[in-house]
Amino acid sequence: MKELDLLKKDWKKNSDSFEQVSEKEIYKMIHKRSSSIVKWIFIVSILELGLGLVLGLIISFTKYDEKNVEMIKNLGIYGYYITASVILYAVIFYFIYKFYSMYRKIAVDDNTKKLLSTILKTRTVVKQYIAFNLTSFALLSIVFGGYLFYEGYLLGVSKNGTTHPEMPLNIALISLVVLVLATAVLTFAFWLLYKLIYGILLKRLQKNFEELKKIDL
Amino acid sequence: MSESLEHSFVKQLQANQNIIHKICRLYTAGEDAHKDLFQEITIQLWKAFPKFRGDSKFSTWAYRVALNTAITLYRKSKRSIATVEYEGRQHFTHDIEYNYEEEEQLKLMYKAVYQLNDIEKALVFMYLEDKDYTEISETLGISEVNARVKMNRIKGKLKKILNPLGV
Repeated sequence: MKELDLLKKDWKKNSDSFEQVSEKEIYKMIHKRSSSIVKWIFIVSILELGLGLVLGLIISFTKYDEKNVEMIKNLGIYGYYITASVILYAVIFYFIYKFYSMYRKIAVDDNTKKLLSTILKTRTVVKQYIAFNLTSFALLSIVFGGYLFYEGYLLGVSKNGTTHPEMPLNIALISLVVLVLATAVLTFAFWLLYKLIYGILLKRLQKNFEELKKIDL
Repeated sequence: MSESLEHSFVKQLQANQNIIHKICRLYTAGEDAHKDLFQEITIQLWKAFPKFRGDSKFSTWAYRVALNTAITLYRKSKRSIATVEYEGRQHFTHDIEYNYEEEEQLKLMYKAVYQLNDIEKALVFMYLEDKDYTEISETLGISEVNARVKMNRIKGKLKKILNPLGV
């Protein structure tokens, strides 16, 4: 292609025509902060992992509230509650560890494809973490919400003087549907927000990664 | 990090800075964006420098880190996206053999290269720098054969941009 040869000639002719940056300026530059995408991904991920941890802590503080413990014990679900907390923490720490070890593997002097793949894999860890959090949130709110509603309903009915209170099937079904829908909408809203943030951060990386994969197909 | 390491880095970077300038020229439009990317590449090189063991030349290593930064790590500011238009820069040398037709062709060619995507630009860049396909394939992480195939496709794409009607 003769145009490309022409371009090469011009490119070479101009390859030392740049205004030179002095050593002093380079010294200054290396002490500045990076504003790379990886850094942003790191910050956002830490916030997300931290948020899960903070939420977990807040929930676990309810343990120290005797009334809460009393209520949970009365419901007969104390064992489940403890098990759930332990699992939750184990999973959170697993994800933090996995994220950190993946993050350490990001090396800017790897080849481009590997670098992109490592960054995207690091993201996948956080994605799985978010999915885990949203799923457990949805399940918990349906199970506990449903359970509390059921108990509350029976309590209300028995106050009216009914000796063997029961929840009619239609009320049970309607309340379940409402609960599931509300949870679904809320969960979906969180998921969208998450997708939006990462859509913005990762769009270019994903595009370039796909392009490189396509070359080797 | 020790002062001598810093000193050795700054010396080598200063001597090899045209590599970075050339990448900035290809991936940014406008002086601000150029400076921005130059700085980010410098920071990334410095951060990776303690791992650089000198098994390869500083320049070879710098090519890779600089390209990776331009392709993956750099956040394009809106300003630089808005002005991809390439309107003949001052660096066109007006020597005795000044050729109006060639100059026009060059302008169009630069404009066409600006329309390529990040990966295609990387290939064109290494082609312009006379890198062999082994180095191109190792830098991008693709096979050598496919690097060649892709480069040919890019040539075709450039032709099409230059001459959309195919006349």
